[in-house]
Amino acid sequence: MDKIKKFFLPKPIVLGNGKVVQPAMSPMVYVIPILLVLFFYSTSLTGFKIDTLITRGSRFFDILVRMFPPNFNYFTKVWTPMVVTLVMSIVGTLAGAAFSIPAAYLSSENMVKSPLVKFAVRGIMSILRTIPLLVLVILFLNMFGAGAFTGMVSLGVFTFTIMTKMFYELIETCDMGPFEAIESSGASRVKAFWTGVMPQLWGQYISILLYNFEMNIRNAAILGYVGAGGIGILLNDRLGWRAYPEVAMILLVLMVSVYLIESLSRHIRKRLL
Amino acid sequence: MIKFEGVVKTYPNGVQALKGVDLSIEQGEFVCIIGLSGAGKSTLLRSINQMHQITGGKLTVDGVDVSALKGKQLRRFRRNIGMVFQSFNLVKRTTVIKNVLAARVADMPLWKSLLGLYTRQDKIIALEALDQVGILEKAYSRADQLSGGQQQRVALARTVAQQPKIILADEPVASLDPVTSQQVMNDFVKINKALNITVVANMHHVDIALKYASRIVGVKEGKIVFDGPSLKVTNDILKEIYGRELSDDELMGA
Repeated sequence: MDKIKKFFLPKPIVLGNGKVVQPAMSPMVYVIPILLVLFFYSTSLTGFKIDTLITRGSRFFDILVRMFPPNFNYFTKVWTPMVVTLVMSIVGTLAGAAFSIPAAYLSSENMVKSPLVKFAVRGIMSILRTIPLLVLVILFLNMFGAGAFTGMVSLGVFTFTIMTKMFYELIETCDMGPFEAIESSGASRVKAFWTGVMPQLWGQYISILLYNFEMNIRNAAILGYVGAGGIGILLNDRLGWRAYPEVAMILLVLMVSVYLIESLSRHIRKRLL
Repeated sequence: MIKFEGVVKTYPNGVQALKGVDLSIEQGEFVCIIGLSGAGKSTLLRSINQMHQITGGKLTVDGVDVSALKGKQLRRFRRNIGMVFQSFNLVKRTTVIKNVLAARVADMPLWKSLLGLYTRQDKIIALEALDQVGILEKAYSRADQLSGGQQQRVALARTVAQQPKIILADEPVASLDPVTSQQVMNDFVKINKALNITVVANMHHVDIALKYASRIVGVKEGKIVFDGPSLKVTNDILKEIYGRELSDDELMGA
């Protein structure tokens, strides 16, 4: 056993004055074997075959070729659903983001003294977070029927769960000095949070809000597939009819919109941090 | 009047920070607490406004038994006690005036503090407090653009804007250079005199403590070992408080 250990230990370093320092063993000694085992187990479980990827990969281009040239006249029909998709994401993100502040407050170790409250809120949030977006949509389709409203509510709840987690982790790493100062002046913990902690975090809060917004636009594009309004409905329909030039136009509009919004949001986020 | 009667503080991990403290401080006094790190100075200070709960004895402020206070009553009580910290505890990412206005939220309805709706009166109080510590012109600068001394003055202004009867200062000049320390201490004296606010300050720097305070309290291992006017502090007394003689170069500051 000692011999095995010695094999993995890095060579001791001898300093100029003759002192010997033994560097610690790298964690990679066990991380790499574990990763290898997991990788090969996963490939056999999922039936991943590298030769299939090579021999049939070229088919990807068959559809791309049929998409060319895109039907530019179709733009007039793509425009409205794209705006619906955007509005759906904006409203959903803002609503989810607003509710995430109190939920994050109640989940933070350094804000809430009662372990019961923190445990309960975090528990509910974890359960909500395990529900995939598509399942949320199907649940809300039953309640509100097909349309953009269902999309908005689904994105709102989805954003709420994610932003709560992201934001309470930020709260827990904030500087508690101002909070202590304001609490010592006789303010309640909620007021001390709002006046002493939030001003530190607004920039980062807006940043995660924008990040969620980017994600939601991409998500919203798919939601139409299950009937939640927006550009996804159109995409599903055109793909069904194999109208590839029109599909190409839809994808083009989507790509340009997502690109523009992501660049804008990246620009804003850079200035905020 | 602040009155400690056999006050004991034992932390949940078993450490006894205060071992029966008797002390009474009159309104308007300027008291400095000196002693080694870990002697219990910080605990003593924070027990006055119940940022640390005492575990034994009795502590009254103007006749009110503070350890019995809870929730709303405790918060109401704290409004009369300002606090200044070694690391200033300002929100650095926001403006000076907003930091000072933070002292007003305790008195506001929750919805107004959520929307940041400070009254004209609040703003005047905040600006006057800044004027009193001589940095009125920095009111709309961001706090992180100020020097350490200026930041501590903002923190002092925040405390003054709270219009307290007592100011507790926890090592207020420990992270400032000697010259700036003197300026900040002068501000403390000015406010102590002008507004008759009691000042209780923990001090690392013995000379600064002796120079500015009218009364010195020496703390050692959770007990008070000296209590008297600063003029009566001798080398023997410092030896008693610090466990050994302090050489001239250890008398930092002034």
